[in-house]
Amino acid sequence: MKKILRIKLKPLLLLAICVTPALSVAQTVVTGTVLSGDDGQPLPGVNILIKGSTTGTTTDIDGNYSISVQDDNSILVFSFVGYSSQEITVSSRNRIDLSLNPDISQLEEIVVIGYGTQQTRDLTSAISTIKTEEITTTPNSNPMQALQGKVAGVQITSNGSPGASPNVRVRGLGSITGNNDPLYVVDGMFVDNIDFLNSTDIANISVLKDASASAIYGVRGANGVVLIETNSGQYNQPTKIVYDGYYGVQVPQNVLQMSNSEQFANYVRQTGNDPEIELIENAIGRYGRSRVNPNLPVTNTDWYNEVMTDAAPIQNHSLTISGGNDRARYSVGGSYFNQEGLIDHMRNDYERLNFRGKIDAIANDWLTVGANITLSNATQFNADNAVWFQTYFAIPTLPVFDELNTDASPTAFGNAQQIGYRGRQNPFFVMENNDNRNRVGKILGNFYADFEILPEKLSFKTSYNYFYNNIQVRNVDLAYNDGEREFQNGLTRISETSYNQIWDNVLTYQNNFGDHNLTLTGGYSYRSEVFEENQSRAEDIRTLTRNEEDWYIPDNSEVNTSETFSDGDELFGISFFGRAAYNYKDKYLLYGTYRRDGTNRFAGFAKWGDFYTIGAGWVLTEENFFNVPGIDFFKLRAGYGEIGNEGINPAIGQTTFNQIGLAIGDELVTGVRPDNVFDLVTTWETTAETNVGVSARFLNQRLSLEADWFQRDTEDAVVNVFQPGAGEFVRRNAGSVRNSGLELALNWSDNVGDISYNIGANFATLDNEVLSVGNQVALDAGSAEFRQRSAEGSGIREFFGYEIIGVFQTQEDVTNSGYTTDFISTNNLEPGDFHFRDQNGDGIINADDRVFLGSFLPSYTFGFNFGITYRNLSLTAFLQGQGGNKILNRKRGEIIFTQDTNIDADLANNFWDGAGSTNEYPSASGYRKPYNNNQLSEFLLEDGDYFRIQNVRIAYLFDNKELMGMKLPKTTVSFTAERPLTLFDYNGFNPEVADGVDRQTYPIPAIYTFGLNIEL
Amino acid sequence: MKRFIIYFRVLLTASLLYSCTDQLDEPLQNEPIGLEFDEGGQLAIALSAYQDLYNLGWEIHPTIAMRGDDVNKGGGTDQPQMGLHDEFVYDPGYWFYNNTWNGFYSDILTGFYVAIEEIEKVNDVVEDPTLGNQYIAEVKVMIGFELLHIVRLWGDILIPESSDSEEFAELPVTSREDALRYISDLMDEAIPQLPNMRPNQREDILGGVTQHTALAVKAMANLDLENYQEAANATSEIIESGLFTLYDDYYNLFKKPGELSDEILFELQYSDFGSPSTATGDFNHLFNFYGPLGVGWDPAVEGASAGWGFWEPTFKYIEFMLNREDNTRLETSVLFTPAGVEELNNRGFTDLPSFTNASGDFIYTRDGDGIGNHARALFHSGKHYLPTTQISTGVTRFNSGKNFILIRYSEVLLMHAEAIVSGGTSSSISAEAAVNLVRERADLDPVASVDLDAVLDEKYAELGMEWGIRFADVVRHGRTNELNENGKVYNPAEDRFIPYPTAQVDQLPQLNN
Repeated sequence: MKKILRIKLKPLLLLAICVTPALSVAQTVVTGTVLSGDDGQPLPGVNILIKGSTTGTTTDIDGNYSISVQDDNSILVFSFVGYSSQEITVSSRNRIDLSLNPDISQLEEIVVIGYGTQQTRDLTSAISTIKTEEITTTPNSNPMQALQGKVAGVQITSNGSPGASPNVRVRGLGSITGNNDPLYVVDGMFVDNIDFLNSTDIANISVLKDASASAIYGVRGANGVVLIETNSGQYNQPTKIVYDGYYGVQVPQNVLQMSNSEQFANYVRQTGNDPEIELIENAIGRYGRSRVNPNLPVTNTDWYNEVMTDAAPIQNHSLTISGGNDRARYSVGGSYFNQEGLIDHMRNDYERLNFRGKIDAIANDWLTVGANITLSNATQFNADNAVWFQTYFAIPTLPVFDELNTDASPTAFGNAQQIGYRGRQNPFFVMENNDNRNRVGKILGNFYADFEILPEKLSFKTSYNYFYNNIQVRNVDLAYNDGEREFQNGLTRISETSYNQIWDNVLTYQNNFGDHNLTLTGGYSYRSEVFEENQSRAEDIRTLTRNEEDWYIPDNSEVNTSETFSDGDELFGISFFGRAAYNYKDKYLLYGTYRRDGTNRFAGFAKWGDFYTIGAGWVLTEENFFNVPGIDFFKLRAGYGEIGNEGINPAIGQTTFNQIGLAIGDELVTGVRPDNVFDLVTTWETTAETNVGVSARFLNQRLSLEADWFQRDTEDAVVNVFQPGAGEFVRRNAGSVRNSGLELALNWSDNVGDISYNIGANFATLDNEVLSVGNQVALDAGSAEFRQRSAEGSGIREFFGYEIIGVFQTQEDVTNSGYTTDFISTNNLEPGDFHFRDQNGDGIINADDRVFLGSFLPSYTFGFNFGITYRNLSLTAFLQGQGGNKILNRKRGEIIFTQDTNIDADLANNFWDGAGSTNEYPSASGYRKPYNNNQLSEFLLEDGDYFRIQNVRIAYLFDNKELMGMKLPKTTVSFTAERPLTLFDYNGFNPEVADGVDRQTYPIPAIYTFGLNIEL
Repeated sequence: MKRFIIYFRVLLTASLLYSCTDQLDEPLQNEPIGLEFDEGGQLAIALSAYQDLYNLGWEIHPTIAMRGDDVNKGGGTDQPQMGLHDEFVYDPGYWFYNNTWNGFYSDILTGFYVAIEEIEKVNDVVEDPTLGNQYIAEVKVMIGFELLHIVRLWGDILIPESSDSEEFAELPVTSREDALRYISDLMDEAIPQLPNMRPNQREDILGGVTQHTALAVKAMANLDLENYQEAANATSEIIESGLFTLYDDYYNLFKKPGELSDEILFELQYSDFGSPSTATGDFNHLFNFYGPLGVGWDPAVEGASAGWGFWEPTFKYIEFMLNREDNTRLETSVLFTPAGVEELNNRGFTDLPSFTNASGDFIYTRDGDGIGNHARALFHSGKHYLPTTQISTGVTRFNSGKNFILIRYSEVLLMHAEAIVSGGTSSSISAEAAVNLVRERADLDPVASVDLDAVLDEKYAELGMEWGIRFADVVRHGRTNELNENGKVYNPAEDRFIPYPTAQVDQLPQLNN
């Protein structure tokens, strides 16, 4: 099959060869074949240049070349992307065959750094790069998920909901109230998220971690920058057709064990709450008595089992066709991604169809033009409506279906209200009668023209980038009856559209003056971000049935005015920027950028801001005096930069007058509300960061080390300043936050005979500290019952509550607690209640005894990777984890609001039930007692540490194989296990809770996929 | 060619620099900053103050009104902290207290004073500020009314005089007496600017504040000050105006027909405007707190929602009413469950009025809504129940569209009587005349003479279940033994006022529990 294709392709190739520059004087003709050093296959498209001239050629599809040289002493330079270049002197030879070896030295690697590129060896800042192979192995809709545990200093928190994006944080949290997401730059366009890209569309990802690297992005750089280059074809590349895909299943992992009917009934009986004990009898009366245990109802519903599917499919298929001649290159492809959700009885999935095309053309000797378009069309069915929350609390004594509930329609689900509970406790009502669909259309376009003004020295590139993002939300609540109450239908439709554009104009000058190498970049950028939103909601729509085709808001329907509105943004940015990168003999490195950003976001307060960085590096191994065996490369580097975060909501900064409505005499009357409690945000948040690092290669480049220390201080952080009396918070630029940490990455790779392997580890620490919350003692977050607080010296939104000494075991313990007798009697303290630490020793436990109890941010994260290849078989494994963070088990905390619900099995099994039983859990009745639960305490805070086998993949490459006489294309088959094992102590579905408050999280499944990659 | 390119680039850059920088002055979108500087604009702002007044959280009801001997916390063990509040065990961290504090003070600062300040700005440019001044006076009455409730809850309080939050943070604590005097003076300031009519005679804002609303608030403040003469003067003025009469039908006073009747001096207005789509929390109140529960609810209109069952009239109140044979008012104030009636029988009340007769599992109200048994409460509130037949067609929301009475003429009459029997002198009718007007409407025989006991009993019977009036009465006259019912123990030295909320003490160091 390959042969046939080859023949077809020949004419195209010939054409390519024909248009290579003609040679003026033919003297000696040198021919030869270039092979790949790793597999011995011919290498097409290798560039061959006569050193010191502009004369050159490339190899054809069979790796053959032919070039005329004028001089026997001519030196031929063979170069190919991803391979080490070789220089060979002709020395009267007519035939030169050689093998090019893959570039093991990553030091020559070109890194994308924003408005330009730089060699790894010349970097002075903290930049991590990830290659496409590392991304495509992770089955997820968002390529960022693949970075979890792989980049020191980048924390990724997974999200199990179909099509949902993981939470990404680069080097901690700098903003208290604003956006902490990094900026994504896709081929030059700024976007908030890359959920519209398929992982096979991406050539490489560069994460600019420190200010020195990201300062070129000015007010957008403070949360780190993720640069993404999409795939291109290569010049002089034979046509390549690649199918890449996988199909697999998502399997719920670590399913939380809830109390069964027996445990639940025991718990209720232990509380001694008679009205509620009676409800157990009611359940027996209505649903029948268990024959096994006559004290229990026959019902014993495992709600997670009812709600959740055993295995949900996930699949991705992509096809890419790429190629190029010496004047043009292209890459065209499409992909289809589909992920089903874990909820079984509600539409809950994500489907995405993408198409893309990228062309670059060398129009003439001074002009290169290109265009690049990505279209993404996705449909997502969300299962929110608090399904997971309701499932957790649903009582096991209630059946899913209840034939006696004859008033219910359309389905007779069990309703706990009918046996006396306050809530109906059955998530199936919500699952059956809600449907939430998002349709998402995104278009990303880049168009550029690159003018070469002085060959190889001065060029000018102008590019226009466009991003269109449209989201159509349709949330339907269908009419139903739960047996107790009629629920009317309702329909919300939201339309959100963004039209963003960026026009970049960049001038790049590059020259070598002897040993002095200089690259200068200067540019101008114009940016506009237009956003429009319309929302409408109507209820009790007569024409709205269960048929999807009439889910519209009809004419003459009465809309809910409070949920019908429009809004918009028109934000503009103008920037001037420049960069200088200098090195002397690749030994002394200097680097600096400057950006002047203008914005209308701050309503005229801060219009222009200046952001800059300086960096320096010293490559010790280039020094003559440095000669340590085993150290091939050693670079010290340091950088300092100031960057901005404009990812804070704009604020008008003056009194506004908003329309209000009220009932006067049963008529709707409108008025105008003056609002003088307004946010005054006059400027962006500014982050100043110092980064010091080491890059080194040891033992013939087999061992590499990257180490960084950073400290980043965010000033003018927007904080909510409480307005006493108004009872409201207003936003002011009054806070200050520090993040500091160490990052370490070590990698070893080597070959032993036919086996090549690599092993690596990364580790990062993070210390997040609030330096100031403005002129106030503390900045509170969370609700009063589950307080989180930011104060000088604490982390952002640290948990704040009572420290627990233990559980009172005896009445004597209570008496000797140091609490006043009045306090003990008022609160009716008894064994089984918590012994809280009386921090101020006044004998009373109250708000004054609250202390900081830990942060939701992990203090360390780590990852390991391992890969081994034996001939055509390869195995890779990634492991990762984190620690030092706390998770608020808010589900257990809900007891303060509603008591007649189910509890998890761990809790039910561990209640204090007599002296010596436990010193950690309260008694069942104590669990419900205000004294024990009216403030956040350590009881609800659990360790978020976890260790996970993130990804294991086995792949086999079929190459040069024949099947029934037909030559098979190059085929890789693989099996991947994503997240097969996670170890943690937390009493929840998973320890990945981005903000540390677990009220309900979507379970994160393990995924097992079978993958196929075919290359023609 | 090269030269051309360089020129081209320079030209390009220069032209776009010139054209784009003015976009940095583009205003932010959708930020309304305009206001009509005329009387229409003033009315619009005054309406926003009414909206702030009408808009209150459900937790404010129990905070204000649950401590009296007319009502107990229902709901079983649900919301245990509410139970502690009912039992005079106050936790400064309790969210009810903080929300109530924030609710009232944010109304006063960001609703009422902002409105006053903005109306004043328009006053500076309109020809005749009379109307503007009237609106300002109306808002002052709202301030006075909310401050009065803050005083009744916390005793010594902060008295803001502008919308300025920084100024508020520095306010000294004002003693309870000074605060009550301040309220009385504020009403004196407002009265001359206000229309002399009933709220239901207002044309611009139907149901809005009038002189008599202000006088009633003034009377309340002076009662609490035990300045009975001032209280009697204020109530006399209202009585002598001759504008107000008691609504004939006590039962329906608390239903749709009684809304904005001639008895009303102050009423919060809510509506669903006759449609389910507008039966939202925006124009409607969340009355669920008061209502009977879904199990034990057989509404006349199928599908009508029930409530949460937290508001349980006490045995003490019911037995008091039964002993008085005060049946009209008992039927209006209390919804009976069969279990409640059984318990009354057990307590020796066997000869009960016919409205307590069960039919099957339910006791039906005269409007046909059945009240059944539920573990959470034996009785429910009748005054806070709107018959489902009076709710707009298709609306299932509990009590949808029901107004909430704040001050009515019968309270004015009984405050008048209370002031006189406590030492004040009437310039209008006698204490007996006032009490008998109220008794007559309740289908009771007149009494020849009244003393403080009789007046307080009459208030208990007439105003039971209404916004903390009973608790204020018994603590004012030191009759706090009355509160020791159903196992609760009131400590007069400590339990009159609730502690300042922790969240406020954190921010306002001048507050100290």
